Amino acid sequence: MSKKECIAMLLAGGQGSRLGALTSNVAKPAVSFGGKFRIIDFALSNCANSGITTVGVLTQYRPYLLHSYIGTGEAWNLDERNGGVSILPPYATQTGGAWYEGTADAVTQNLGYIETNDPEYVLILSGDQLYRMDYDDMLATHKANNADLTIAVMPVPWEEASRFGILTAEDDGRITKFSEKPKKPDSNLASMGIYIFNADLLVETLKEDANDQNSSHDFGGDIIPKLLADGKRLFTYKFEGFWRDVGTISSYHETSMDLLGPNPAFDIFSTTFPIMSNSSTRPPAFVGKDATIDDSLIANGCQVYGIVKHSILSTDAYVGERATVVDSVLLPGAVVKDGANVVRAILGENSTVEENVSVGSVDTTKDTAVIGNDVVVGKGEN
Amino acid sequence: MEKVIGLITCNYSAKESSPLNESRPMASLPYFGRYRLVDFALSNFVNCGIRTVGMVMPYNYRSIIDHVGSGKDWDLDRKNGGLFILPGSAFGTSRTGARFLLRDLVHNKVYFTRSTSDAVFFSTANFVYNIDLDKVYEAHKASGADITVLTKTASEKDPDVTAFDVEDGRVCGVHHGTAFGETMFLDCFVINRQLLLDMFDWYAATDYLDLFEAMAGDFGRVNIRTYDFDGYVAPIFNKRAYFRANMDLLDPRITSELFVEERFIKTKTHDTPPAKFEVGSHVCHSAVASGDRIYGNVSDSILGRNVIIEAGATVRNSIVMQGCVVKSGARVENAIVDRANVVPAGTELRGTPEDVLIKEKAH
Repeated sequence: MSKKECIAMLLAGGQGSRLGALTSNVAKPAVSFGGKFRIIDFALSNCANSGITTVGVLTQYRPYLLHSYIGTGEAWNLDERNGGVSILPPYATQTGGAWYEGTADAVTQNLGYIETNDPEYVLILSGDQLYRMDYDDMLATHKANNADLTIAVMPVPWEEASRFGILTAEDDGRITKFSEKPKKPDSNLASMGIYIFNADLLVETLKEDANDQNSSHDFGGDIIPKLLADGKRLFTYKFEGFWRDVGTISSYHETSMDLLGPNPAFDIFSTTFPIMSNSSTRPPAFVGKDATIDDSLIANGCQVYGIVKHSILSTDAYVGERATVVDSVLLPGAVVKDGANVVRAILGENSTVEENVSVGSVDTTKDTAVIGNDVVVGKGEN
Repeated sequence: MEKVIGLITCNYSAKESSPLNESRPMASLPYFGRYRLVDFALSNFVNCGIRTVGMVMPYNYRSIIDHVGSGKDWDLDRKNGGLFILPGSAFGTSRTGARFLLRDLVHNKVYFTRSTSDAVFFSTANFVYNIDLDKVYEAHKASGADITVLTKTASEKDPDVTAFDVEDGRVCGVHHGTAFGETMFLDCFVINRQLLLDMFDWYAATDYLDLFEAMAGDFGRVNIRTYDFDGYVAPIFNKRAYFRANMDLLDPRITSELFVEERFIKTKTHDTPPAKFEVGSHVCHSAVASGDRIYGNVSDSILGRNVIIEAGATVRNSIVMQGCVVKSGARVENAIVDRANVVPAGTELRGTPEDVLIKEKAH
C-alpha cells in the first residue's frame, strides 16, 4: 500500500451511552479493555499493521482522555512527518460551528482533511470495535472488484440477523440489498461498519447528502442505500474471526471474559499482528505470599494479596489480603481493599471497594455490577 | 532544572566477571523483570527536569543503544539537548575501579564546552536508587560547594564501592572499597561546569586517573561536600549483589519506595499484553512482567517479559529473564536464567541460596 493511496477516517466521537458508568467521563473508544489496552488501540493497531499511516480520528464526546492517549500517535508508529494521526474534533467556522450529527456528517465536516491528503481511497472505521483485520487485504479486494464501495461483513447467526444491518449479495460479492435490522432477513451477512470508498465518490456523495434535508447523515441509514439506488458497484468483504462491538455492559463483560480460559476466543498474545498501546511504565505485577490467582490476566503495576479467579486486573489494580475477585474486570487503578468481595463486576478506573464490602452477585440472572470511574464504594452503599 | 546537564558513564564494568556481564555492559543488565540498570540513573536525571544527558559508551554498546534508542522513553528526544551518545575509552579501563575516568571526560570535552549550563550531574549505571536530585542541587547551591557527592553510610563492606573520608560534611580523602560504617559514594555527584573544565587543564597530565583520584591532593582546595541519602540503595558490582537487589523488590515496602509515584522509573516500553495466569497455575510471592504465561508453579521469583512456565514446571527463588521457556516438569531453583533460554522438560537448574547458578544468555 503506497503512501496516501488510502487514508483512514476513524469515528471516535461516540458516547457509548449504553456503557453507562464506564463512559460517564470518557468516550467509548477510550474505555480500558483487556488489562492494558483502550478500545481504540484495536483500530489504530489495525491501521498500523495494515500500512495505513494517515489516520484522521474524529472525536466529540468527552475527548480529553482520548486526545491525550492518542497523543502524536507514536505508540502505534503513527507519528509520521507526512500524515500520521490527526485529531479532528468539531470546529467553528466563519458561519458558525456545529457538532457532528451522524457518522456521515462527521466525515462531511472534515472533507477538507480528505481533500488535503488527496487519497484514492478512504477507509471509514469505528473506534469502538474489537477485532484484528488487515485493511490492505480489504483494499486489494476492493480494487479487484473494481468497486465503488466495499463493506466489511461477517456472518452472524440467522436468529440474530434482525439485530444488524444486513447485506444481501450475489455470489461474486456484489451487494444487491441493504436492510437495517430486517424482521425477515434474507441474508446473515452483517455490516461491520467498516467501509472503503473511492475517495472521489465519497466526497461527491457526502456533499450531496449534506444538502439533503431528509437525510439523517448516517452511512448505514443514508449513504449506502443511496449508492445502491444509484446503481454503484458495492461489494462485500467477508471477515471471519473475532469481532465485537462492546455496546453494553453485559457485552463488555462477556467480551472481556472471552480473553480468558485455555483457548481464548481472542488471542491478545499473537505477535504477528500485535495490538499496540500507549502503555505506561509500571513495574511488574506483584503477587503476595498468600495470594491465589487462577485463569486471569494481570497487568503491570498490579498488586495481588488476595484471591483472583477468572478475572482481568488492569494496570495498577490492587487486591488486598483476604479479598476475593471472581469473574470481574478491574480497570486501571481500581482498588479492592482487604476482605472485600467482588463478583461479576466491572470496577471503573481508580475506583475503590472499601474493606469487607461486597460488590456484585453470583446470580447470573442479575446484571453485571458496575462501579464508575473514581467511585468509592463503602459499607452500606452497595 | 534547566541549567544542569547530566552525564552517565556506562563503560566501567564489575571487577568480577560472570556470564551476566560477559555478554553485555552492566548498564544494560536486566533488572526486576522489565528494567535495565541504567534506567535508574537516567530516570533520576530526567525526573528532576534534566533534558540533556550524555552517555559514555563501552565498546560493546549494542544492548545499551537497543534499550535507550533516541531517548524517547525518558523524554530525551529533544530538539535542543536530549540524549548524546559519547565514545568511551578504547581499551584498558573496563575492569578497573574507575567510575569517572578523566580521559573519558576530556575526550568528550565538547559536550561540556558547548553547554551553557551552570552545573553537571554525573552518575554511573551501577546503582539502584530513586532520589530527588532537585534537593541535591538545592543543597549544592546553598552550601556553595564546588562539588556535592551523593553518599550513604555503608551497612556492610563492599570491595567495589568507593568510600570517602569525611570531616564535617567535607570530603578529605577517597579510597576504593568500603568498610562497614564508612561513607560510601553512590557514584553520583554534581559539579559546577566551569570548575570541571578547569580541572581538565589542572589534571591533564594524569588523565588516566579517575576524577576523584586525580583530585586526591586537592581536597583542601576543592570544596567537596556530601549529601546523605537515606533511602534504599543497592550497589550492583557482582552476582550476589545483583541477585539480592532483585529479590529485595519482593518486599513491597522497598518496591513502593523505589517506584514512587511522583518519580517513576522510566524504561523502554513494549507492546506486550498483561501476564496470563492460566488455569492450574500457582504463583506466590513473585513479580511477574507483562507477556508472561504461567501454567506451572512460581514462588519467590522474578519473571521477565514474555516468559512461559509450562504446566508441572517449578521456579523457586530465581530470576528468569525475558523470553525464557521453562518446559513441563523442569525445575529452576536458586538460579538466574538469562534471556531466551529454554529449560528442557524434566531437567533441573539448581544453585544454592548462597551461590546461585547462572545460565548464560541463549543468543
